[in-house]
Amino acid sequence: MAEENSSKEISSSQGGLFWLTAGTMLAALIAIYVWVPTEKNEGIIQRVMYFHIPCAWLAFFAFFIVFVSSILFLWKKEREWDIYAHCSAEIGVIFCSLVLITGPIWARPVWGVWWVWDARLTSTLVLWLIYVAYLMLRGQTEAGSIRARYSAVVGIVGFLDIPLIHFSVLWWRTFHPKPKVISSEGLGKGMDPSMLITLGISLAAFTLLYCLLMGRRVALERTKDEIDRLKREKLYSS
Amino acid sequence: MDQLGFLFAANLCVWGGIFFYVLTLKKRQAALERDLQLLKEESGKDGD
Repeated sequence: MAEENSSKEISSSQGGLFWLTAGTMLAALIAIYVWVPTEKNEGIIQRVMYFHIPCAWLAFFAFFIVFVSSILFLWKKEREWDIYAHCSAEIGVIFCSLVLITGPIWARPVWGVWWVWDARLTSTLVLWLIYVAYLMLRGQTEAGSIRARYSAVVGIVGFLDIPLIHFSVLWWRTFHPKPKVISSEGLGKGMDPSMLITLGISLAAFTLLYCLLMGRRVALERTKDEIDRLKREKLYSS
Repeated sequence: MDQLGFLFAANLCVWGGIFFYVLTLKKRQAALERDLQLLKEESGKDGD
């Protein structure tokens, strides 16, 4: 009975989160395509920024959750933290892939090339490869504490690439523009207020989307655990 | 391809990617729930 009530509460909170995410996403789309003015140098293609930066933010945030959950797993040895790390890594890889796809689509009309091997782009590709390797490691090894421990180590080490990605445009000369939201001039000083507001709405929408996807993905992993538990029980009882 | 074409391609990739992932999650969840239901039914029969 208590289990039924708690699952009802979870599904109603997921329903609320779904509508909140959908509403914020709709507001972001209206702001991107109706409200915000077109940037005068790059033209209409600059609107890709309102997806490209939130995808990057979401990927970095997801990998930060992998980092924290992996540390907590190594410390507490609880399966729950391993589940969070795994689910967040999968979502992070999806959005990091979208960053690596939307970036070249934006670059082609602006830079004249799809890809350049500069520090920002290369370090982002390395980040993607690290977490693809993380998921492959999980997929290719037997479930258990050893797999969780190795994955946690990769999850922690992989995160060290993110500060490198952020500072790469400041430390080296790159094609990629310098940060405009978090800049030396101050928070959001390098952007028009309407652009900053649109980007803020889009960032909020993508953060809510992460919470929604994470909830669904964690539920899936728990169902898998329940199946494994029942299979084990059946094996021992027969 | 003009700028509008590139913008459309970027949108298609982002929304298509998200939609495909959500669809995959739904399919995986449905398959697992079917398995879980079968296992529960089987363990119920064994109990009888």
